[in-house]
Amino acid sequence: MLFPGRQTAFEQAVGRYFGDLYRYAYWLCRNRWQAEDVVQESLTRAWRAWPGLREERAIKSWLFTIVHREHLRSASSAPRARADENVPEPAFDPDPARTMELEAALRELPEDSQNALLLQVLGGFSCAEIAGMLGASEGAVMTRLTRARQALRRRLGPAENEPGVRQA
Amino acid sequence: MNCLDLRRAAMLDPRRLDTEALAHVERCDACRDFLAQALELEAQIEHALRTPVPHGLEARVVRNALESPRFTRRHALAAGLALATAAGVALLWKRNDPLALAGIDFVVFEEAQAIADAKPADVKVLARVVREMGVSLPAQLGEIRYVGTCPFDGLTAHHVLVKTPLGKVTLLLIPSRPLASRAVASAHGFEAAVVPAAVGSVAIIASTPRSIARAETLLKSG
Ligand SMILES: [Zn+2]
Repeated sequence: MLFPGRQTAFEQAVGRYFGDLYRYAYWLCRNRWQAEDVVQESLTRAWRAWPGLREERAIKSWLFTIVHREHLRSASSAPRARADENVPEPAFDPDPARTMELEAALRELPEDSQNALLLQVLGGFSCAEIAGMLGASEGAVMTRLTRARQALRRRLGPAENEPGVRQA
Repeated sequence: MNCLDLRRAAMLDPRRLDTEALAHVERCDACRDFLAQALELEAQIEHALRTPVPHGLEARVVRNALESPRFTRRHALAAGLALATAAGVALLWKRNDPLALAGIDFVVFEEAQAIADAKPADVKVLARVVREMGVSLPAQLGEIRYVGTCPFDGLTAHHVLVKTPLGKVTLLLIPSRPLASRAVASAHGFEAAVVPAAVGSVAIIASTPRSIARAETLLKSG
C-alpha cells in the first residue's frame, strides 16, 4: 500500500457518511439497485480524486455533491424508476400506515424541493450550504424547503393552521 | 418576530430556530402548538427518509472503489521511475494540456447540469457531424446515453455520453477546433485526451487511460 494514511482517511470519511449517502441516492433514484450503482460510481470517483482533496471540512458536501451529479449522469437517459418494491426490511415502525403515506408524499414532491429536503434532513446542511451545492440562490433553496414542508403538511398534517400562507 | 415569521421559520427548518423564534414560542401558545406539530412531522419525515442500508453494501462499495484502477498511483509511479533514471526528476510530470484539462473540468463541473438543462438532441445531426469530422461511433463503443450540444472552450461541441464496458466515457466533438497533435491531461480523478480528427478534434474524458485508449481506437476505426 502506497498511501495507507489516505486510504484510512477515505474509509473513515465514507464510514461516517455512507448510510446517508446511500439514502440520498435511494431517494433521488427511488430504486435500490440504481442507488447502489450511483453510490458505487460516486465513491469510486471520490477515491480517485481523494489525494487532490485538501479541505477536510468540505468532504461531506463534496461526497453528497458527487452522488447528486452521478445521479444526474445516470438518470440522463434512463427514465426515473418507479418506487422499488424490494426494499430491505424496515426497522420497527410504530405507525407503518402513516410512514407509507409519508413516503408516498415524499416521492410526489417536485424533484428540486425533494432534493433540498434530502440534503437538509439527511445531510444536515444549512440553506447556504445547499445553495452552494446545487448552484442555486439561498432564497430559491428556502422556497423549495418551505414548499416541500407545506406539501407534506397539507397531506399529512392537521387540517388547520395552514402555515406560511395565511397572514397569522 | 411575529407569528407569521415564526411559522415561516418553522417551515424552513423547525429544528434550527434562532433564539428570537424560541423566545416567541415561549410566549405564544398558538405558535407553541404549531411548532410541536411541525417537530412531530419532522421526526416522521426523518424516520421515513432513513431507509435501511442493505447489509454488507458499505464494505462491498468501498472494496470496489479501492480496487478500481488508478492512474495516479501505479502508472504514474512506473512512468516516473523510468523517466527519473533517463531524464531526471524535472521532466517527471508532463504538464496537463489546457484543452484536455478543460474537457475534464467540463465533466466534473458542467456535464451534469448540461444534461439536466438540455433538450433532446437529434441523433441524425450527430451522425452527420461524425461523418463530416471523419471519425466513427461504432456500436461496440457502448450504449449512447446522452447526445446534446454545449458551449465548450468558446466553441460549440457535440456532447456524447457513452456507457462502455470500461465505464462511462464523455466525448466532445469539436468540428471547428483543429488540432496539430494529440494531448492529454489528468485531474480530479479523470483522464482526458484530445485527438485530431480529419476535421476538428475530439476530446475523450474517462476514468482510466485504458478506457480512453479503447474509445480512441474505436473512434478512429471508421
Ligand atoms: Zn405566535
